[in-house]
Amino acid sequence: MDDSAVESGIESHEQLRACLLAAREQDRPQLILDFIPYSGFIGAHAKVDEGDVLYWLEPRRSNIGNPSLPALHGGVIAGFLELSASVELLFGLRLNSMPKVVDFSLDYLRPGRLQALYASCKVLRQGKQLVNVSITAWQVDIELPVATARCHFLIN
Amino acid sequence: MKFNFKAALFRPVLKMAMERVGHGKLLGFTITKVARGQVDLTCPYDSKTVGNPLTGVVHGGIIVSLLDTCCGAAAMSAMGKPSVAPTMDLRLDYMHPATPNEPIFVSGTVYKTTSSVIFCRGMAWQQDENNPIAHCVATFMRLDLDRAQFSGVIKSGFKRLLSRATE
Repeated sequence: MDDSAVESGIESHEQLRACLLAAREQDRPQLILDFIPYSGFIGAHAKVDEGDVLYWLEPRRSNIGNPSLPALHGGVIAGFLELSASVELLFGLRLNSMPKVVDFSLDYLRPGRLQALYASCKVLRQGKQLVNVSITAWQVDIELPVATARCHFLIN
Repeated sequence: MKFNFKAALFRPVLKMAMERVGHGKLLGFTITKVARGQVDLTCPYDSKTVGNPLTGVVHGGIIVSLLDTCCGAAAMSAMGKPSVAPTMDLRLDYMHPATPNEPIFVSGTVYKTTSSVIFCRGMAWQQDENNPIAHCVATFMRLDLDRAQFSGVIKSGFKRLLSRATE
């Protein structure tokens, strides 16, 4: 990234580091989500549940793609899963800078209804530069996933 | 002649359905082109959609949403009749981060239509179309609304007739 983009930033590296430290000390991944404006845009939340991080997306009418069903917008599901994966890296893998997403692939398995959408992430491989994360999203039953995704991130 | 009338109606109906409802309304984009199998849109920068607060770059989720909307609309436009096109899968490659405070241009194109699947690709760029932010390929299921609804109506009518006959 070029310097001009960094200068136009809203928060500093120190603020990010303080946020990450606080989130890990208090075991509250939600603090990282609060740091990222996009999470408020779609209504994403996270908490630690039995050692793993559980992410969920609150049901909002502004997240609807097809109003006649109504079904969640496919792009919102994708954005939520990508956001969950990046928080997983910052919180679980203890990265100290924002990971860069390289590619993202998503399979839609069932329509997302207007109710809470849950997600859990699994880091399949962590290399020096590249991390592969697998993400599953479900609503009522974890055995009936709404979508699965995999994502590659570049890390420093 | 009847088809031309439908085609003329398609653009405002699509614009209404995409721009004024649900997440499309929240994203705040404008559809700038609707042709058969191709849809273009423009989305302004919004600080609420930032994914990296250190740089002010919009979150990848916004780019996925725009590309999914654009390709989905292109898929619908390729079918030429009232239908829905749920996304089967989508793959997105990020070439470089978006520049903050600048609009994003998105174009979705259908490159193959079969009896049940529509194959699309999409591109997102800012200053230069030849230097895209992201590229995506997406496949959509082809569900003709009228046929599905029609068969449903016929089935339920037939059942009613049958139950009456057996009473």
